[in-house]
Amino acid sequence: MRKLILFAAVLAVIGFGILQFKKKEPLYHSQSYVFGTLVDISIYGESNERARVVTNLILQDFQQLHHRFHAWETDASGNTSELRKLNEAFAKGTSPIEVQADLANIIRDATALSVKSHGLFNPAIGHLIGTWGFQRDEFSAVEINQATIKNLVHAAPRMTDIVLNERNVYSKNPHVKLDLGGYAKGYALDLALQRLRKEKINHALVNIGGNIIALGQHGQKPWRVGIQHPRAPTALATVDLPSGWAIGTSGDYQRYFIQNHQRYCHIIDPRTGYPVQHTQSVTVLIPPQSVHQTQAGVLSDVATKPIFIASAENKYQMANVFGIEYLMVIDEKSNISVSKKMAKILYWQQPDVQFSTFE
Amino acid sequence: MNARHIQTTIEDHQVAKLAAFAIALHMIEAVIPSPLPGVKPGIANIITLFVLYQYGFATAAWVSILRVFASNLLLGQFLSPTFALSLGGASLSLGILWLAMRLPKHYFGPVSLSILAAFGHIAGQLIIVRLWLIPHAGISYLIPIFATAALFFGLINGLITARLITSK
Amino acid sequence: MCNFLRLNNPLTRYLRLGDYLLILMSIIGILWLFNNLWSNEQAAKVQIRQGETIVGTYGLNQTREIQVKGPIGTNTISISNGRARFSKSPCRNQYCIHQGWLNRAGQAAICLPNQISLELIGGTKPYDSLTY
Repeated sequence: MRKLILFAAVLAVIGFGILQFKKKEPLYHSQSYVFGTLVDISIYGESNERARVVTNLILQDFQQLHHRFHAWETDASGNTSELRKLNEAFAKGTSPIEVQADLANIIRDATALSVKSHGLFNPAIGHLIGTWGFQRDEFSAVEINQATIKNLVHAAPRMTDIVLNERNVYSKNPHVKLDLGGYAKGYALDLALQRLRKEKINHALVNIGGNIIALGQHGQKPWRVGIQHPRAPTALATVDLPSGWAIGTSGDYQRYFIQNHQRYCHIIDPRTGYPVQHTQSVTVLIPPQSVHQTQAGVLSDVATKPIFIASAENKYQMANVFGIEYLMVIDEKSNISVSKKMAKILYWQQPDVQFSTFE
Repeated sequence: MNARHIQTTIEDHQVAKLAAFAIALHMIEAVIPSPLPGVKPGIANIITLFVLYQYGFATAAWVSILRVFASNLLLGQFLSPTFALSLGGASLSLGILWLAMRLPKHYFGPVSLSILAAFGHIAGQLIIVRLWLIPHAGISYLIPIFATAALFFGLINGLITARLITSK
Repeated sequence: MCNFLRLNNPLTRYLRLGDYLLILMSIIGILWLFNNLWSNEQAAKVQIRQGETIVGTYGLNQTREIQVKGPIGTNTISISNGRARFSKSPCRNQYCIHQGWLNRAGQAAICLPNQISLELIGGTKPYDSLTY
């Protein structure tokens, strides 16, 4: 009898063990190609079904945003996007057109950020970006037309040329062409965070084309994010992203072409009309922002651009303008400089990375 | 030089017979295809265990090592990786048996010894693979499978040994 | 001796208390091993070694065959659809071929006679996502 009980106990342990073995980490991971870029969503601690439903909601939001604010595509039903209609109106003259409330808010916010950056963040230079050929999904080296570039710089389209009256918009300068390429991904991140919270998801990590926002954490550990090495196919460093924080990088290695041994990247200095060549990448970490301010996602997307464009000596001043404390800059000679606060939280992926720090 | 006549006892003859039997079992097993290298019933271990119970540790060690050398010679694998694996497995297995025979007899029968010996066997083989044959190979993936097989065949072999001892 | 096929209820007859405990502990140990050594993670790359040297590390998102020379001849390793396997080997027992397709990180196949090993590598990135 005693042996029988023992045998039953053995069977019970086997059963228990098998159940343990089947228990997988509750991590849902999806990758999709929306927004003209790779969208990577991780959700932790939810059932697969639930995570899939919420992921699809987020992707639908993105898809909608993409169709409305895309600068050079028509939407699924062949209609021109809201943004394109607006740009056509800008080009025609000064008769105002009515836009949706959220687009009006985006214009208001982007204008404020542009002013803050002394015009280095300038979403009004859509024509200039078009000339460089970066407004195409498949771009290639273009013939650099110096005269056209000169004219476009001379036309000086600025965000402050846009006049916003409630939801009625017009531009004082017909050369203004909005390109939300440096804003929309961040905006979508903030939207995703809202959506996740609304759906009562506690732990998620959303990556839209390299801009990332975290919610909660990955099990017992915070979400960990790798920072791309600008000249090698690996991560240069990793960093733990606390809940509500966003991280963004602007690099010269994602969209670029090389002509006569010169690298022409997609980040264009609005003052010269030419791509920036003195910087390889800029990474910023943004803590959660208070309700009425620009949100962390947008800031992580926007702030990297003026810092990237600003000359070496003005970069840190530009970071201060945006209140950025966590910053990494890699210049054209691959010199790495890191803010003191950033240095404390980075885990380098190679043993002997040389870098300098600044306040 | 005169050939000296060696006195043999009945016991010697019995041990020799058992060793021959072990070699035969080993060779039968060697030609039976296995789904995974290293996963074998190890039925020759029944003989080792039986000898351990009947004649003591020293004789069991002799029979086991003799089997490894003889069967590998006969199979033409002497000093090959397979031989190294056999020897490594047999050695560690014997070492474990040497310790395990000290366990209280009242609670631990041939089945315990057989299972422990089987674990010793695969551990010995894995150590040889890891240290000598393929130092970098990621064999850790296979360890649970080997261990499961060792438990299963160790149990069966142990039961057979127990049966042999009691029927004697 | 031939009547050992007639074992009736051998478990209760030949097992002692310690034997049961040992079996129990072994099962727990093995389950622990499964839990710790088996990942369910899809592998991303296969690393091929011959003897002491790494022949190469190849992504699994391609279809190709790789020839590797060892002491007794040349093995062929196939990669396709996120999996890798030994597909041809000069060895006698062909164990390496029988191991079939490998697709999970940590899985390995070995051709002992020719000292060639395949090891699948994750998947496991040191981070959850990448900013670029």
